[in-house]
Amino acid sequence: MICDSCGKNKANIHLIKAINNNDAEKMNLCNDCAKNLLFSSGESFFSDLAEILSSILEIDVKFYKGDENKKFFDSVDWINDKKCHCCGTDLKTMKKTGKVGCANCYDEFKDGLYPLIKSIHGKIGHMGKVPCNSSKRLKSEKILRDLKVELDEAVIIENFERAAQLRDMIKKLQKKLYKSSNR
Amino acid sequence: MGKTNLFSTMCKNSDVGRKISKDARSKIILTTRVQLARNLSDHKFGSTSSSQEKNDVLNLIIGVASGIRELSDYKFYTVNKLTKVQRRLLIEKHLMSPEMTSRMQGKGVLVKSCPCNHRKSVSIMINGEDHLRIQCAAPGLNVRESYKEIMKIEKKLEKKLTFAFNSKLGYLTACPVNLGTALRISVIAHLPGLVMSSKITDFINNITNIGCRTVGYFGENSEIVGNLFQISRRATLGRSEEDIVEEMNAICLNIVEEEEKARQTLKANHLVDMEDSVYRSYGVLKYAKMLSYEESLELLSMIELGMELGIVKNVKKFNFSKLVNIIGNSHIMLSMKKDKKLREDEVDFIRANVIREKILKRIR
Repeated sequence: MICDSCGKNKANIHLIKAINNNDAEKMNLCNDCAKNLLFSSGESFFSDLAEILSSILEIDVKFYKGDENKKFFDSVDWINDKKCHCCGTDLKTMKKTGKVGCANCYDEFKDGLYPLIKSIHGKIGHMGKVPCNSSKRLKSEKILRDLKVELDEAVIIENFERAAQLRDMIKKLQKKLYKSSNR
Repeated sequence: MGKTNLFSTMCKNSDVGRKISKDARSKIILTTRVQLARNLSDHKFGSTSSSQEKNDVLNLIIGVASGIRELSDYKFYTVNKLTKVQRRLLIEKHLMSPEMTSRMQGKGVLVKSCPCNHRKSVSIMINGEDHLRIQCAAPGLNVRESYKEIMKIEKKLEKKLTFAFNSKLGYLTACPVNLGTALRISVIAHLPGLVMSSKITDFINNITNIGCRTVGYFGENSEIVGNLFQISRRATLGRSEEDIVEEMNAICLNIVEEEEKARQTLKANHLVDMEDSVYRSYGVLKYAKMLSYEESLELLSMIELGMELGIVKNVKKFNFSKLVNIIGNSHIMLSMKKDKKLREDEVDFIRANVIREKILKRIR
């Protein structure tokens, strides 16, 4: 096989980049071209395959290292020295470990974390169950959310009788919630 | 008690009509695992807390758990007091996640049922990535039942513990991936049909697009062995628990259908190839004296496929997922009950014997 870059020498290095396990991009290089392309010296040439791949294929090596959790943090770049006042974790550590330090971190680093969470989950807004010992307000908010979902479903299947009922229930609950928050 | 009995009889009744298909399902979806993560509020998460703080959390949770009647038949193990083989066994049985064995201080696990038992098993991991991970593993496709099982436990714990919660983000977890319901469902699927008909890449792409993650049997970064895949659902925020459960159930039924289709096509179009592969595996299993775990999984996967398609007949009926469990290295080492440590080749020898005994019919 002949080198893709110079077209003269025999290619000794074959790089295959798998895209989604399905497509593959292949690149055949001779030793000289590979060295030139990589700007690396002979000895350290094979020392870090990941580096070779990254400089040739311009891929983000970090993405292939580490586990899933860390990848998400990698997508966001922070230059911030702020530390969580509760556990002392900063963004750098979070990026390294892929984990937040305590519950308070989510509040403390809201600006950095929320867009990230949104990119992972698609949206922000909990729809699941709430703890049984949480405040009454949280519980009624949960009921309200469920009712709204049910209303949307009722409208889609054109069950307007049920939809009207649900609408009234939602209104009533909203009024109650509004009142209690003003108090 | 009466309630649960009623529930199980109801389940049985509703399943009567689907008996055959359920059997087929459990041949493809081998195990279902449902996991729920919870953290205590006012306690630092695992990655930042000191050993002392971890011990406090452990003691607090154990204290609460010991007061719960439903958890009275659970066995508690402190991770750093277990032997290496015991820890590996718990991981092999998926009763404990591998990360529990790094920095073991203050980590514990509550396990219901003997690990060798192949029925529904529930485990509660303490001080892993999150303070609490409640997990239920059940054979076959059992998403709904497993979910109900862990919710029962969570409700009991919730009464006495305050979990970290935020109205926007739901239950707070150490890793943002699990935020929201913190509910994770994963199944182990045996997909030799899709692999052999090389439809597997398309299949993985498709289920990745709908938010599923596919990894090998041994978890993250492991190779695919024995055509076994671990498929789990991502996105836990913005959906209710019930929706996640129903979605995963539907996805699994879809997987079963795809695999069935692939198998039938293979049988119709490539029967000789299939027979060749199956009988080669049969030959090796019959005569090999030493078998590694990985090789055994590959071979058994083919035999299982051969049996399902009616290719190979002189084989005893065996439960694939059960067999996979008992031929793991740690299981063999522990079941021998020898004081001295077994060498690797000795384990391979015992494994080959165990498999022969389980699958070969005796020749009179």
